[in-house]
Amino acid sequence: MSAEILRRLAFLPVTLFFVATLVFIALRALPGSAVDVLTSQFATAGLREQLIAQLGLDQPLWRQYLIYMGDLLRLDLGRSFLTGRSVSSMVWQTLPVTIELAVASLLVMLIAGLGMGLAAAARPGTVLDVGMRVLAMTLFSVPWFWFGIVMIVVFSLWLGWLPAFGRMPSALDYRATTNFVLIDAVIQRRPELIGPWLAHLTLPALTVGLTSAGILMRLARSSMLDAGARDFVLTARMKGVPRRRIFFRHMLRNAALGILTVIGLQFGAMLGGSVVAEVVFGYPGIGRMMIDAIQTRDYAVAQGAALALAVLYVLVNLVTDLTYRWADPRLRREPGR
Amino acid sequence: MTQRTHEDAPQDAAGRPVARWLPGAVLGAVLGVLRALPWAVVTLCIVLAVLAPALAPFNPVASANAPLLPLWSEGHPMGTDSLGRDQLSRLLYGLRPMIFVSLGAVGLALLVGGAYGVVSGVQGGRIDWALMRAVDVFMSFPIILAAILVLAALGPSMLNLTIAVALSQFPIFARLARALAAGEAARDYVLAARAVGYAPLRIMVAEVLPNIVRPLMVQATSVVALAALTAAALSYLGLGVRPPAPDLGFMVREGQELIFLAPEQALLPGLLIAVFALAVSFCGDQLADERTRPGGLT
Repeated sequence: MSAEILRRLAFLPVTLFFVATLVFIALRALPGSAVDVLTSQFATAGLREQLIAQLGLDQPLWRQYLIYMGDLLRLDLGRSFLTGRSVSSMVWQTLPVTIELAVASLLVMLIAGLGMGLAAAARPGTVLDVGMRVLAMTLFSVPWFWFGIVMIVVFSLWLGWLPAFGRMPSALDYRATTNFVLIDAVIQRRPELIGPWLAHLTLPALTVGLTSAGILMRLARSSMLDAGARDFVLTARMKGVPRRRIFFRHMLRNAALGILTVIGLQFGAMLGGSVVAEVVFGYPGIGRMMIDAIQTRDYAVAQGAALALAVLYVLVNLVTDLTYRWADPRLRREPGR
Repeated sequence: MTQRTHEDAPQDAAGRPVARWLPGAVLGAVLGVLRALPWAVVTLCIVLAVLAPALAPFNPVASANAPLLPLWSEGHPMGTDSLGRDQLSRLLYGLRPMIFVSLGAVGLALLVGGAYGVVSGVQGGRIDWALMRAVDVFMSFPIILAAILVLAALGPSMLNLTIAVALSQFPIFARLARALAAGEAARDYVLAARAVGYAPLRIMVAEVLPNIVRPLMVQATSVVALAALTAAALSYLGLGVRPPAPDLGFMVREGQELIFLAPEQALLPGLLIAVFALAVSFCGDQLADERTRPGGLT
């Protein structure tokens, strides 16, 4: 177990190095440069050169790469080409927003996916089962961004229940301490922050969570049915254990492992999905910051955002793996792998 | 102990047959139609995309009438967009990149990932280890993020979109092909081929490949929908086909700006993507079901 943790942790720098390099290559290969964005076409050649030198873009690529890697080792993500703000602080500001969204989406996915999967598994072959499977397939096949727009049309435009854009109403004076609103509400003793925050969070979280629930539903259903076909269920039934108890105590416990893995994998996918959802809902998370930075060729910001997302993803996967081992005693007892 | 899976158990836990409330013949007919439906929808989408130049009443990139005509307008059954371009024509043409990219990307990923996996599985040893660790590293990256970066680097175009989506699906095929090929490589006929002195390439292509091609194809069908959705999402983010060329994903993006004025501008193209992806998903599901059912494929 501990050897496995060490092995996985040793792998982490390799992954991060690869990620950092890919990010560097991808953004340097972008057509056009930040200078074109910064200056108008009427800028003098002198001004342009001065800017290029200032941004370090006059260096040969390999030097840019070394400087970039060196800065990374010192955890210095550089400054935005456009605003001059420190990228690290921009990442710290936007990452909590994305984590909030991903966690909320995960909750939605858990409730919807497990609910549908268990309902289908409890009555396999019935109309309920078929209906749930078709629903799962539909949720899985709907484009995330479009589902978000449908939500906006229904809940904001037609019903007017929920706000469609942003994270907080602009009228509300919210100054971030941690930028996790729940934590800030406690620290700053401002419970009135939570209501509007939840209202803005609902649609994006439903969008990402529901479109991811289909996979979980299918997996929960098939894991439960597989568990139901095992001998211990027959034994329990012969002993006269009530069906409900067999379902929740015997089958669910055995099906939980596979379900857990998918939840971890899906959390990673949600970080990706939140990039799209943040663009749809104008949600000020790190994904939207990255897309904006790519479009304005603000290398430093795009790099920082992509790296932060990748690191978070790697860490989540690591934690999932370890949880999986912890949850399955059979894996725990075996040394090494 | 033979494990019963849910696929071959069309009955509930008590052993009662499914859907007792319908007579068998009616149920059979209904199921038959339902099973054929997704294939018909996919075929229709492909036909519409191929015939778009013949079917589209207007040039999809030229302004044809007043902007933002509503649905069912005279001559423009789907209305016009904010630049007065005919929506029906744009929807028809917009199908093309989606279908091209999703099929092309899956084909590319199948080809490259399959070859990669077969080499890894048949060669085994250190080569296998190195190749699979490389896939692990790749998998440790959020897929959509990788695709976004690739597109950012290559610039937006239909071909680059195909490459980016193929890259996002590469690990799926590499891993599956590796697992299947490693299973085959341990069997007697491969041992025999090795003993006779066949070159590794010949073993891979002539011996192992024919035995694993079907599960790979089934997997390919089941990820076409994912490819279509990934491509659409990337287009939506403005990283796909270059405007003004019509593309369903980007049409949703453009339509979203008018969401409070004319929601159908964003809803229609998205609906088309959803219908296509859903139909492809159901097709893939049917193939996967047949594979696991006794007497089916493989």
